[in-house]
Amino acid sequence: MEAVSVMGSSENNGNHAHFDGPIKVIIDTDPGIDDSMTILMAFQKPELEILGLTTVFGNVRTVDATLNALLLCEIAGHPDVPVAEGSHEPLKGGEPRVADFVHGSDGLGNIFLPPPVGKKIDKGASEFMVEKVSQYPGEVYILALGPLTNLALAIKRDSSFAKKVKKVVVLGGSFFAAGNVNPAAEANIYGDPEAADVVFTCGAEIAVVGINITTQVKFSDADLAQIRNSKGKYSQVLCDMCKFYRDWHVKSDGVYGIFLHDPVSFTALVRPDLFTFRKGVVRVETQGICTGHTLMDQGLKKWNTSNPWTGYSPVSVAWTVDVPAVLSFIKELLMKP
Amino acid sequence: MGAERKKIIIDTDPGIDDAMAIFVALNSPEIEVIGLTTIYGNVYTTLATRNALHLLEVAERDDIPVAEGSHVTITKGTKLRIADFVHGSDGLGNQNFSPPKGKAIDQSAVAFLVEKVSQFPGEVTVVALGPLTNIALAIELDPEFPKKIGQIVLLGGSFFVNGNVNPAAEANIFGDPEAADIVFTCGADVLAVGLNVTHQVILTETDREKLAQSNGKFAQYLCKILGIYFSYHHEAYETRGVYLHDPAAFLAAVDPSLFTYTEGMVRVQTNGITRGMTILDNTKKRYGEITEWSDKPIVKVAVTVDAPAVVKMVMERLMNS
Repeated sequence: MEAVSVMGSSENNGNHAHFDGPIKVIIDTDPGIDDSMTILMAFQKPELEILGLTTVFGNVRTVDATLNALLLCEIAGHPDVPVAEGSHEPLKGGEPRVADFVHGSDGLGNIFLPPPVGKKIDKGASEFMVEKVSQYPGEVYILALGPLTNLALAIKRDSSFAKKVKKVVVLGGSFFAAGNVNPAAEANIYGDPEAADVVFTCGAEIAVVGINITTQVKFSDADLAQIRNSKGKYSQVLCDMCKFYRDWHVKSDGVYGIFLHDPVSFTALVRPDLFTFRKGVVRVETQGICTGHTLMDQGLKKWNTSNPWTGYSPVSVAWTVDVPAVLSFIKELLMKP
Repeated sequence: MGAERKKIIIDTDPGIDDAMAIFVALNSPEIEVIGLTTIYGNVYTTLATRNALHLLEVAERDDIPVAEGSHVTITKGTKLRIADFVHGSDGLGNQNFSPPKGKAIDQSAVAFLVEKVSQFPGEVTVVALGPLTNIALAIELDPEFPKKIGQIVLLGGSFFVNGNVNPAAEANIFGDPEAADIVFTCGADVLAVGLNVTHQVILTETDREKLAQSNGKFAQYLCKILGIYFSYHHEAYETRGVYLHDPAAFLAAVDPSLFTYTEGMVRVQTNGITRGMTILDNTKKRYGEITEWSDKPIVKVAVTVDAPAVVKMVMERLMNS
């Protein structure tokens, strides 16, 4: 089945049917409540081989992201999965923006779990990414759930990174829709706009899932109750985390429930057939009042002069989502014993 | 009946679709055109003035004053983007019309705008079809201007769609982003009609043939100048029709019920790669932090249009002339 639209063509939504062996994934993450859901969901998918978690600031500071990542691996019974700590600040330096008002001061909804037993590895996040994509060229997927600093550093560290990585799936941006930090910008991109622009223009195979997509996929209070009452392996701890997150959604968006940003992006990695995508060059504004704005050239006009979008490789931008199918995919994983 | 009609000043850079809008305006009994003010954009300001005078003479309405506007942007920029590749080097389809006999009035566009809104407070609608330099200068000259003006209906911006200068920016806003940001945040009753709406209002080849076959004076004139506009659209958009940007925006001033609107705050990006981009905040979201949109005045932004009705009105007013 190939859906074709004019110029901004839909990409092949192929699944991984012809892939030999497990899918190798690195999750770059700032846990984060929806990050935690995603990481625990990923451990429930036996066809995935999680090569490691890399950490970044965003929902929490990077050091706390690392502690939370270690803790999540331990909760999942995979304390052996390496956690590589990433950058403590955006490319341009300075204090990172931390969304503790969304995720709590511990990043996990202020449930203050005991600290992890394990330790991060000695390698930094970008070094770890470069090592893994070089070890398995054309095989490694990266699921990027926070600001894109580590990926940008990996691209800068190894000029062939973009060619060697199989695919980068990014949760970030807001395409032809309002942001969540301000009307122009989404939080992950806003966290490091320079890094995001490096990633989107690097030439790698990239699929980006913006909040124009992820805010369509919500858990209602009833959904959350259903998960809490299920036999899901991690449903108790996740629902404990979600309380704080849910209350913020009520205040901020009038939503009695939660948006599933990170789990939806994870779904776009393992089940791209549940989405449609359009291809176009994406650039990120790094100046002025719209800093962090993601802008895609839909390819609807032939420009008579070159512009800042000219000459870059297009990326796949999630365009539509099969909401019921994605919801049941996520629920199924969260309720899996 | 004159006293009942809405007073309109058209701020314009003619321009093929400007010419169409001006002709439609001159054949609109609901309104009274009390003046044209000129601006750069499709052509340089001097030529815009010449074309405005020429169009009024074609319409035998040289009683309407033309006031020449700014030759530079509000930041005194002289590197202007002129869309001669869309409208021809003369702005009117390269037809080499003979120069107009009349002259612009001595008053500048800005002085004219301020004078008229002061003379008729709450009664004047400015339909702005080019970059917003003149309007922003009027706001700077007279801080009461936003209160005294009835409404500013502007063709500009692209809301939740790509621009037409580049993926981020629409031509009129790109022409003077700083001026546009002043206008959007000035507190006047502002209605913006952007590309997201005007790209739905298309004059087809069939419509053009109908115009050619009519005896309407305006229709006949426009058929002479439309060729280059059609060629440009074909090349840039692979369409066989043309967008009626200016006439659509003008009709929003005449009959607002042809459109639906959303309300929110609009800011214009003035630097970076997205310079000239318009961002509307019409969310109900409560942002965690104060944003650059917070506490700004609310404007109206067109979101849907009854395109067949707009095209029909444009056609009728051009053919019955």
